[in-house]
Amino acid sequence: MSGAVPAAEAFTAIWSPVVAQTTALWWTPASGRLLTAIALGAVGICVMLQRGSRFRWGGAGLALIALLILASQVQPFSGFGLAAGFWCLAGLTILAAVATIVSSNPVHCAIWFALSLLGTGSLFMLQGAQFLAVATVAVYAGAIVVTFLFVLMLAQPGGQAFYDRIDWGVVPTFLAALAGAVVVGAITLAVSTMPRTRPLDEGPGVASDVASGLPVRPVEAPEGQHVAALGGQLFARHLVAIEVAGILLLVALVGAVAIVIQGRDSPEPTGEARHE
Amino acid sequence: MNETALLQNYLLVGALLFGIGLIGFVVRRNIIIMFLCAEMMLQGVSVSFVAWGRYHGNWDGQSLVLFIIAVAACEAGIALALIVVLCQRGGSLDITVWQQLREEGQPAYVDREIPDERVAAPEWPELTPAGIEPEIDIEEQMHRSHV
Repeated sequence: MSGAVPAAEAFTAIWSPVVAQTTALWWTPASGRLLTAIALGAVGICVMLQRGSRFRWGGAGLALIALLILASQVQPFSGFGLAAGFWCLAGLTILAAVATIVSSNPVHCAIWFALSLLGTGSLFMLQGAQFLAVATVAVYAGAIVVTFLFVLMLAQPGGQAFYDRIDWGVVPTFLAALAGAVVVGAITLAVSTMPRTRPLDEGPGVASDVASGLPVRPVEAPEGQHVAALGGQLFARHLVAIEVAGILLLVALVGAVAIVIQGRDSPEPTGEARHE
Repeated sequence: MNETALLQNYLLVGALLFGIGLIGFVVRRNIIIMFLCAEMMLQGVSVSFVAWGRYHGNWDGQSLVLFIIAVAACEAGIALALIVVLCQRGGSLDITVWQQLREEGQPAYVDREIPDERVAAPEWPELTPAGIEPEIDIEEQMHRSHV
């Protein structure tokens, strides 16, 4: 017992300045609201993930409130059209993403995920990344999700299996939601403590930018010849990386075929026997 | 001014996508849904990359996202092959079928009781009665559960 007290004192001596500094740095009204939002969101997701719970819509409401508080933490847009478009698309993306992880039917999950991808593609389009928007919709929603729907339906003709009706339990779900909440909270905290605007009295530009350490170059998005410019950039600056990506795709193709052939050494009659 | 707002909002959306994907990957048991959640995390990263690329006014963010898409396509191909093989051998898409791959000394995961599937009773359409009421044949009704 006597050894425990100095250890505790030493612990306090080491950690109290750390805690005090952290509190002074991070504990502001804004971060309080942020913590509230994060906690609400985590609890909402937890409630929604409990299978067969009657309070799932309540959880959805909590998550929605959390989303609204989070949205109030970042800098608003100046134009109404841009803000309306962004919030519709972002809301669609996030809601579809939440629905992806809380639906119990895997087919519904895949379709919600495809919707979330469409939202992401539209967000890319809003940022001026037209080629990426098309590529996301074509590659992800068009190829990957549809292929996985095929596999899902081949593997589970009944659509829904018994294990989709069980969850891991309350504690692991809560821990998972906590982990997700910590990630979102850390990034939002970092984002919302970024310099919002330049101080008016310091004149345009440089001083606050140097102070924040961020190279602020608000150049307009490159207009016109979008795909041509992106292609030029890719094949000039990233030529080796493009070649490596091509080789990677080829290797993945061969690897996938090899895995499926390797997996087929079962004693049951193989494809050739069935054809006869 | 709007550039900073765009960046912040997009980073927030990216963080949310990443967090939701993380939760789903840990919580769900279906292999395919776990894979979809991993893809969702990649989407979150892509959104952040595009936002930074726009903020700095160059093409690097978009180039990186293009490589992310290429790697995700490779990953999808390999994962599809693995899932097909695992499903053939294990007979199920449940990840707990493969729990003997856990570390030594770890306790096995034991399923709780499987909740009953709530099968809703089929709702049959009802027609509005019209015309002369026919004579009801009791015997015929006994032989037909429903139409």
